[in-house]
Amino acid sequence: MKIERNVLITVVAVAALLGAVLRDQYVLHIAIMVLFYAVLATSLNLLVGYVGEFSLGHTAFLGMGAYTAALCSTHLGWPMWITLPAGGIVAGITGLVVGAITLRLQGPYFVIVTLAFAEVLRLAAGNWIAVTNGPMGLAGIAQPAWLAGRDIIEAKVFYYYVALVLLAVAVYLSYRLVYSNAGRAAVAVRENRYVAQSVGIRPLTYALTALGLGAFLTGMAGGFYAHYISFVGPEVFAFPFMVSMIIMVLVGGKGTLLGPLLGALLVTFLEEYLREAKELRLSIFGLAVMAVVLFMPRGLMGFLLRRREQRAEAVVPVTRPESAA
Amino acid sequence: MQTLLQFIANGVVVGAFYALSALGLTLILGLMRVVNFAHGEFYMLGGVLGWWTTNRLGLDFFSGLALVIAIMGVFGWLVDRLLIERVRDQGEEAGILLTIGLAIFLSNTALLTVGTTPLKVEGPMAPGAVFIAGAVVTKARIFAVLTCAVLMAASWLLINRTRLGAAMRATFQDPMAAQLAGIRASNIYACTFALGTVITATAGMLLGSIYSAQVSIGGLVSLKAFVVVILGGMGSFAGAIVGGLLLGLTEALWGGYVASGWVDIIGFLLVIVILIFRPYGLFSRRAERP
Amino acid sequence: MSNFHRAFLLAALLGAVGCAQAQDAIKVGVIQPLTGSVADNGMAFVNGAKLAVAKQNAAGGVLGKKIELVIEDGQCQPAPSVSAAQKLLDRDKVPVLVGAFCSSATAAVMPIAEQRHVPLLTGVSSKADLTDKGNKYFFRSAETDRVMSLTFSKILAEKLQLKNVAYIGVNDDWGRGSVEDFAKEMERLGVKTAMKEYYEHGTTDYYTLLTKLQASKADGVFVAAETQDGSILVKQFKELGLTTKLFGVGSWATPEFAKLAGTASEGIYAAVPYASSIATDANKDFVNRYAAAYKSKPGKYSAAGYNALNIVMQAITRAGKAEPQAIRDALYKTDYAAPNGHYRFTDKGEGYGYDAVLVQLKSGEPVVVTMTEAGKP
Repeated sequence: MKIERNVLITVVAVAALLGAVLRDQYVLHIAIMVLFYAVLATSLNLLVGYVGEFSLGHTAFLGMGAYTAALCSTHLGWPMWITLPAGGIVAGITGLVVGAITLRLQGPYFVIVTLAFAEVLRLAAGNWIAVTNGPMGLAGIAQPAWLAGRDIIEAKVFYYYVALVLLAVAVYLSYRLVYSNAGRAAVAVRENRYVAQSVGIRPLTYALTALGLGAFLTGMAGGFYAHYISFVGPEVFAFPFMVSMIIMVLVGGKGTLLGPLLGALLVTFLEEYLREAKELRLSIFGLAVMAVVLFMPRGLMGFLLRRREQRAEAVVPVTRPESAA
Repeated sequence: MQTLLQFIANGVVVGAFYALSALGLTLILGLMRVVNFAHGEFYMLGGVLGWWTTNRLGLDFFSGLALVIAIMGVFGWLVDRLLIERVRDQGEEAGILLTIGLAIFLSNTALLTVGTTPLKVEGPMAPGAVFIAGAVVTKARIFAVLTCAVLMAASWLLINRTRLGAAMRATFQDPMAAQLAGIRASNIYACTFALGTVITATAGMLLGSIYSAQVSIGGLVSLKAFVVVILGGMGSFAGAIVGGLLLGLTEALWGGYVASGWVDIIGFLLVIVILIFRPYGLFSRRAERP
Repeated sequence: MSNFHRAFLLAALLGAVGCAQAQDAIKVGVIQPLTGSVADNGMAFVNGAKLAVAKQNAAGGVLGKKIELVIEDGQCQPAPSVSAAQKLLDRDKVPVLVGAFCSSATAAVMPIAEQRHVPLLTGVSSKADLTDKGNKYFFRSAETDRVMSLTFSKILAEKLQLKNVAYIGVNDDWGRGSVEDFAKEMERLGVKTAMKEYYEHGTTDYYTLLTKLQASKADGVFVAAETQDGSILVKQFKELGLTTKLFGVGSWATPEFAKLAGTASEGIYAAVPYASSIATDANKDFVNRYAAAYKSKPGKYSAAGYNALNIVMQAITRAGKAEPQAIRDALYKTDYAAPNGHYRFTDKGEGYGYDAVLVQLKSGEPVVVTMTEAGKP
């Protein structure tokens, strides 16, 4: 627990320093995307890693947060520091509603119904012209007023730090949840639902807590996305976003707090470098996913943790009692 | 009145198609408890291979279909033995991720190989329309609906009336006991997966001859198939039929009388509503998951 | 060092090698959908662009240097197009951008072009309001839905004697924009609107939609659909035995469409900015060279890519140097003789002066019915 906390703090500190140093626009853009995805992966991990339920509808929360922020900004003129939490709250409420309906199911039913929710929202966003402007999307989302007239590097650095703050908040809240009674209860549910119930833990309550928090964080990330890209369309609800999130959580290692961060870093870099391969990019991506599932099922963190355990075992020799002849 | 009849005819035809495309999935999902996200891609491969055999090799529909069945059967067998076998004991998640990765790989490699243009698959019969009570149905569609019925009946017979089917049912009820009875479980798993793959690929080729074979169709097919399977209950053949028809008719009537743009939503809304009231589908025999 | 480190180093090296390429060339950045549902059309655009560049390079290049196309995949989506634009501007340092095909993707790239003072030319994006945003670095050499509807509604209403028209469009910004613009113009001419319906891109079964069409008793139907969807819709239209007069916008006069739709394409009208059967000498030359290079006749997107690159290269020549500001100023003075007319730009960056044609498909070939010049808006 202590090591994890210290590593996390170091990571955030290093990222903060990087923000003061980086000046290349393209690298800054990549860094911002890494932070953004890290928030998404951390929040998804709460559900997938700690509660143990595999959700394919997380984009629903991302989209709700993004559209809320976009609408509040373009129709109500609210500034960014209000729209982000607004997006988070709306997404959180959505999460509780969705959770109340879906968390009663398990396994493949849960997977498919969460996917169904995300699809319903995507199609609604694409067709409800009056509110969401359909496929044309909401464009021209306002940048914070004091940014006008500043050069692009400064604007990017600003967004970098906003993303970093979001990530720090996400990691902190996740840490507090995981190491609280609620978190331990959620893990108990994950490990053995019936035993957990027999000691008085109600699975639904804890799953809802994790989902609600995850949705809130994702919603804020969605609001951030809306302001950064300054354009929101139905594609925020689409499956490819979801696939990226899942892969990050898995590659990094679910059930750990560091895993999603690592996963976000690796996968974003992989996607950018695979850009060179152009058409082959996605085929290689598919192969990579399969390879991770087959050979590194607990992700990178799982792999590293196991190595540590193995090395620890090697240091302490296992002595076998001599069997009686 | 005639319009309503046409809508109903459309709905029944499309519903039968949905049921057929979901049949392979319900088999794999119901018997093997594997959520196969590459389902749509198997369907797509059926269509693409159908194009290759009829257009490139010049075979007629039925010979082409036989070849496609052979190829996809072997492919399904290999996928199960080499990939799914390795993650079978790791819970549902691993299977889902593996098949998502497989789906991404298959759809993009197919894209690279044949491109995005819709591919023409030669149909089993000459084009022509038939009038049923004033509604128009093409001969090809009627043939497809009949094929759906035949395939469903054949699958049911296989599972419930043959030794192989008995072996399958035994293995999925209790793998250990089945093995003690002398059934080679790994072969049965592979066989079942291959069967599901073959049915799906057949649907892909058949429907590809009516519409066209498109490389990008995989995702949508998977989603619709999942809707059908949930509506009807996993592992239930009757459920797949009813689920498919329900979906097809609802979409046709909604699209006809309300708005075409919102048609896809209705399926998902149905799923959500049904799962609130009957979590295991309309036809599932189970009341509680063991 | 561990495998992970090795892979990282290798990737970094590859990136560096990619940058240190041909020094003595003028780079032009191209953002087009190379994957995804309109990849076919994006590739057609790229093919046309490559043809133009090859021809120019064979004649000595521009300002004594070869032109090099740096092509990135925008996937017809805002976020990837924005990433592609940033990569082209930061890593490849291109002085001019061409793209990004879909109007929403182009709209996302436009502010970046303006911020970085680099001109952006789109050969395809047809949403009318792109040039109303006051962006001084944006140029459009494509037809807009507004221009097409203005030019053709009169011809269609009179020639086809339509009284009651139904509108069907794909549910994206282009489909909706086209339907709205055409419906507005036709209504102004007194033609009634029977129904307006949209379908999701990728739909395979249009029977329900077409049944609704039949029930609406329209005598004409306007369809805004791309090649894939349009060809299937048309086939099913004929299967149902509908006799409504069908006219479309989009890539309906392309050989791909005719091949896919087969006999179902017979008799369909299409309002397009380019058709391979336009009978000018310049076009015949273009068609022949395109067919020799790519084994098929060019369609609207191939012509768009060809024209866009020629406009850009001429602007660079006129500017005298490969600097973004100079290229932009030179673009305003464009008067380019294309296979389909003369392209000029208004001071809002809107293209005009090219020819737009109404064709009817007969035996898979687009037969020109009338040709008009797109006037200055």
